[in-house]
Amino acid sequence: MSVFANPDRRLFTPQFIGQVLLRYAVIAALAGVFAFFSFATTTFLTSANLTSILVNNFTLLAIVAVAMTFAVSAGGIDLSVGTSVDFASFAFVSLVLAGYPVGLAILAALVSGALVGLFNALLISGVGITPFLATLGTLFIGRSSQQLLTNGGNPVYLPQTGISPLFLFIGHGHILGIPVPLIIVGLLIVITSIVLLRTRFGRAILAIGVQQSVARYSGLRVPGHIGLVYVISGFIAAIAGIILTSTVSVYIPNSGGAFMLNAIGATFIGTTLSREGRPNIPGTMLGVLLLSIVANGLLLTGLSFYWQQVGTGLLIFIVLAASFLNRRGRGD
Amino acid sequence: MSPVADNGKYALRLRGLVKRFGGVEALSGATLEVERGTVHGLIGQNGAGKSTLIKILAGLYQPDEGSIEINDISHRRLSAHEVEKLGIHFIHQDRLLVPSFTVGESLFLGREPRLAGLPFLDRRTIRKRAEEILDKYFKLKLPANVLISELTAAQKQIVQITRALLDKPSILVFDEPTAALVRREADILFDLIRRLRADGITIIYISHYLNEIEALCDRATILRNGKDVATIDPRATPASKIASLMVARDIEEMFPKISVTIGEPVLTAKALSKAGKFQNVSLDIRQGEIVGLTGLLGSGAKDLVRVLFGLEAADTGEITIEGEKGRPRSPVAAVAKRLALVPEDRRGDGVALGLSVAENITLASLKRFTGFGFLKRDEEHTEVDRLIEQLAIKTNGRFAPARTLSGGNQQKVALAKWLSRKSTLYILDEPTVGVDIGSKVEIYNLIGKLAERGAGILILSSDLPELIGITDRILVLYRGAVVREFQSSEATPDEVLAEATGALIQHYGEQRHVS
Repeated sequence: MSVFANPDRRLFTPQFIGQVLLRYAVIAALAGVFAFFSFATTTFLTSANLTSILVNNFTLLAIVAVAMTFAVSAGGIDLSVGTSVDFASFAFVSLVLAGYPVGLAILAALVSGALVGLFNALLISGVGITPFLATLGTLFIGRSSQQLLTNGGNPVYLPQTGISPLFLFIGHGHILGIPVPLIIVGLLIVITSIVLLRTRFGRAILAIGVQQSVARYSGLRVPGHIGLVYVISGFIAAIAGIILTSTVSVYIPNSGGAFMLNAIGATFIGTTLSREGRPNIPGTMLGVLLLSIVANGLLLTGLSFYWQQVGTGLLIFIVLAASFLNRRGRGD
Repeated sequence: MSPVADNGKYALRLRGLVKRFGGVEALSGATLEVERGTVHGLIGQNGAGKSTLIKILAGLYQPDEGSIEINDISHRRLSAHEVEKLGIHFIHQDRLLVPSFTVGESLFLGREPRLAGLPFLDRRTIRKRAEEILDKYFKLKLPANVLISELTAAQKQIVQITRALLDKPSILVFDEPTAALVRREADILFDLIRRLRADGITIIYISHYLNEIEALCDRATILRNGKDVATIDPRATPASKIASLMVARDIEEMFPKISVTIGEPVLTAKALSKAGKFQNVSLDIRQGEIVGLTGLLGSGAKDLVRVLFGLEAADTGEITIEGEKGRPRSPVAAVAKRLALVPEDRRGDGVALGLSVAENITLASLKRFTGFGFLKRDEEHTEVDRLIEQLAIKTNGRFAPARTLSGGNQQKVALAKWLSRKSTLYILDEPTVGVDIGSKVEIYNLIGKLAERGAGILILSSDLPELIGITDRILVLYRGAVVREFQSSEATPDEVLAEATGALIQHYGEQRHVS
């Protein structure tokens, strides 16, 4: 039946609302969990807690998820984002401990993360290993080498005193009342959104991710672009490593791995926001926000920490299932 | 050796087969009757319905209408399993063999005879039978523990045939068996087929090559547009007659020829060779010229196109593009030299179905719409809208996903991509396959206009009336060499086909050009 066959074209029919809910499942889920935790706990809907969600739960995952979104946009995946976080953290702590200026330490941390990405790039674009296996290998190598570097996994602490205020500023400082990590994330979101949507590089990445063979037949430098994507992914993940280290003043080996699965989840939740199912930064951010709220809310309800994973898994299912139903409904 | 009682005259009768896919009729009443103990040829152009017919016989498709009779028993429908039980086996170059299996494992896969009363494989008996067959038919010792992936194409075929013979087949179907073989290997195969016939096995032989049909077959059925147009004795029928039976005649005048002045060479290739694909191929394409290229599967035409566009490397030879020497080493280099390729696999390589019409159209020319790395979207959209209008692309706007377009309009998008690039040499591989008749004419017009504006055009097509209709001259490739160049105005589909199928080569092997 055509829409025009219906003389009574009210906008808010149940079907229409159903369609909208399916189409914007992420937003519906976000509103749902927000409302749920607001009623279920007394502490959720307080400005202190909401700020805490953004600073503690959202920031780091958001940065790593942006890195992941790049890899997924190019049709791949980066399982070694956590390795970049860790290597950046290690480089950062080591150089600050050794008395180098904070600025230089930050640079070294960013380079370390990018080098992890470069290693992936060589495996993927140079050798031709699939992204999943290449980054999985990097993940394993990264894990072992951190244990070798730290005598089996001992954390590297910074002393309580005598640390440059600039070091602590990154994780704890405020500019105009806004936490510095949030400012960094905000800038990153704006810059990466523009890169992916408005630049030639972003368009090439998109084409490679959607149909690599067509990109190749159109004369795009496919291996070069893919390689660069993994370097960028490592570089961005390193930013998370820097903020993490500054916040806790310690490098804990293999702590970055915790972000990887959630970053993948957030990226794919984010694809449901795009009509064509494309990875996109705003969608990924909504995914991160959703996972952050669930993590924080479940903690406040007093449920075991281990239920968090169940909650996260269920949410990913629900959002992806809704998106699938929506696509099927459109006959794609 | 066939256990079948020789009562009836026919081993196989497929009558009035109709098979529809959606609105398209792949077979519209095709009949194939094969007499017992003969070698029966099946010929027809691409799209004539050969593969559909064979897939019905293999139990892979169910016919919509028609009757199937095998060894005088009629069957409502066939499954792949029943077909094997009836003793019908298929020899196809790319099918059936797992590369990581050994010869022995491949021969015994799925049959695995047991020792009497025990669940153990009777490997010794099987090996003995396999060796008997290999020795009897091939005078050959094939070590059982060699991997399939280490065998040559011909040896793989021998393993397939041996595997089939272990089952004491009554009918063997050879589907384009010589496509991957060199001449000497093909000779061995022909010899083998004759001996199988002498042993009472019925053989169906499918080939593009008319000289093979003539050399081997007792009878041959010619398919055209999903129907059998004739069943003939190939030895008593001249090749030109067979060729003309294969080519459809009812093509209306739809090739608007614009007379264009031919200019400077856009692309010149000298003595290009690629081992096992083509040898010593030279061609040149000039401004305003439309050159046709045709050849059968395995003729090297596809490989030549891949080399010209930098998708594969040639071994030797020289390519000059717009006066500049150097073979393109990658599609990146080819596109930089303003070459364009509209590939045959439209949905795989030509158009990204998940990208929008606009994103597809500007994909090869993004540089034009970039300033300091940023896309100039207004300029991009102006150009896209211009091309949508110029090519009359029927789309729900520039942002519609390419997947929502019809095949013909997708093909126009694939062409628009290169118009946006302002390419000077267009290589079009089967540009009108799967395109509706209206879009076809529009694409022909567009090709004509491109030539008029001074572009060089190379068209690869197996649709011969089309090729003759739109090109200025035609190069025919046969087994890796250019065997003939036609002026399109003087060519007929029959002649071109005869050259492409090797029918004019008196004896198999006496090629007029070096190979």
